[in-house]
Amino acid sequence: MLLDVSGLTSGYGKVRIVNDVSLSVEEQEIVAVIGRNGVGKTTLMKTLVGLIRGLAGTVEFRSQDVTRMRAAERAQLGIGYVPQGRGIFARLSVVDNLRMGEQIGGRGKAPDYDRVHEYFPILKERQAQKAGSLSGGEQQQLAIGRVLVGHPELVLLDEPSEGIQPNIVQSIGEIIKRLRTEVGLTFVIVEQNLDLINAVADRCLVIDKGSIIARLDPAELADPEIARKYLAI
Amino acid sequence: MDVAADVFSYAYQYFDNIGFLILSASGLIIIFGMMGVINMAHGELMMIGAYITAFSYHAGVPAPLAIIFAGIGAGLAGMVLERLVIRHFYKQLLSSLVVTWGLSLMISQGFLLIFGPTILNVPTPFGNFPVAEQTFGIYRLVLFGGALAIVAGVWAVFTFTKFGTHARATMEDPDMADALGVNTRNIYVLTFGIGAAMGGVAGGMFALTATISPFFGINYTPLAFITVVVGGGANVITGLLSSVMALASVQTAVNNLVNVYVGYIAMMGAAFFILLLLPRGISEYLERRKIRTERKVSRSAPA
Ligand SMILES: Nc1ncnc2c1ncn2[C@@H]1O[C@H](COP(=O)(O)OP(=O)(O)O)[C@@H](O)[C@H]1O
Ligand SMILES: [Mg+2]
Repeated sequence: MLLDVSGLTSGYGKVRIVNDVSLSVEEQEIVAVIGRNGVGKTTLMKTLVGLIRGLAGTVEFRSQDVTRMRAAERAQLGIGYVPQGRGIFARLSVVDNLRMGEQIGGRGKAPDYDRVHEYFPILKERQAQKAGSLSGGEQQQLAIGRVLVGHPELVLLDEPSEGIQPNIVQSIGEIIKRLRTEVGLTFVIVEQNLDLINAVADRCLVIDKGSIIARLDPAELADPEIARKYLAI
Repeated sequence: MDVAADVFSYAYQYFDNIGFLILSASGLIIIFGMMGVINMAHGELMMIGAYITAFSYHAGVPAPLAIIFAGIGAGLAGMVLERLVIRHFYKQLLSSLVVTWGLSLMISQGFLLIFGPTILNVPTPFGNFPVAEQTFGIYRLVLFGGALAIVAGVWAVFTFTKFGTHARATMEDPDMADALGVNTRNIYVLTFGIGAAMGGVAGGMFALTATISPFFGINYTPLAFITVVVGGGANVITGLLSSVMALASVQTAVNNLVNVYVGYIAMMGAAFFILLLLPRGISEYLERRKIRTERKVSRSAPA
């Protein structure tokens, strides 16, 4: 098991947002996390990454307990994070943004820029530009490319399709699948876009009020009844 | 009237004012840009640098080396302050102003208790040179050159080193830098230490021109503060240089037209006017314009 989460509870101050979440993810799986706005998906991701301290429960990565570790230490173990809103450094150049990913998966390892440019050639063309001048789709590619420069094993993506043109969403879906087979990556993806979920996910976890309330096969979301029930679409 | 000598005198004053403002403000603006904190105790870090320089010099250390000691000593003092106090006040501009102002009083009063009201000064080296009827101090030009060297060095460190990239990223989004594996705590301590060390070096350089007392810092803090606020924290180098050039031009011009005091008042007026137009400082405006231009260019180019 690559990621093992048990009884995880977290929030902001004393307000609990994520409540008793347990989940495990195997190597090279692609797991989608879905749920309405404001149910705590982003808070769950931030807790997994280590940006928010858990109030209870444990997080294990490659059978190592990382619950007490800072985000930076978890990143160095191989957890790559692509946050909602992309989290690019707008004032840094594209190539400096990529450099920021070098520590992921171990500081000693050589960064792999060729791999990034192969998947995202636009990042090579635009390397000297400030990242803030990129379009939304390009910024999303930069955010994913940035973790790929290092050596992640698990990549957490938070709403990668948000605010991006449909054709780019489709190509990001294809790249995610290629990264799984060609690089051996594992993904946890928070997503509202049913097409993307269908295209990439092996299974779906449905979150409501900070807890997992259902586990679905992505195909089940094709049923509009079920989609409405869990996503209010 | 020798026009050439007047032009020279004007240029000399301009560069002197620029050097003064850069040396006073460069460490401060790094700390402000990075951590959103204006360190009112920066002048006291400069004072510490001046004391270290004076004590080292009178112990037989050559002045250049004494100034390097000042940088090291003030840098270490800054790192201790950061760990003990300042880290609790990041991005809280007002609280940080009050707290660091308190620190500045404590440090200067502490020095007064320990070392008394004055210590032995350090003579200004190099002497003067004449142009037409007037004489000019050579060391003032050294200060100007030193100021430029400091700016260039800092720019190189923050532009070309891995530490620099990590520091700029941390300044923009500390959580994201953390999530990418950067130990942001180290970045903060080191950056604060660099800012403090620059203050120490500046204090050491000014020690050769000024009376050294526990209240040495007062000579520099207000102008440094204004320079930093006018420059803004969005880009440390462009902020510092644009602010310094604007303020020094006004000061030098009015100095020559009227007198030194009106020159200071005019400089404050200019600062006030710039902040009215660009409340977040010149560099914030320049940075935003740069991103907008690049966006336009990349839209019009076929990708
Ligand atoms: N920084 C924060 N401080 C306090 N409350 C927050 C913060 N961020 C999010 N919340 C609250 O936590 C809840 C869950 O938010 P979030 O995890 O972003 O939901 P989702 O990603 O599922 O849309 C919301 O009610 C939101 O208002
Ligand atoms: Mg969210």
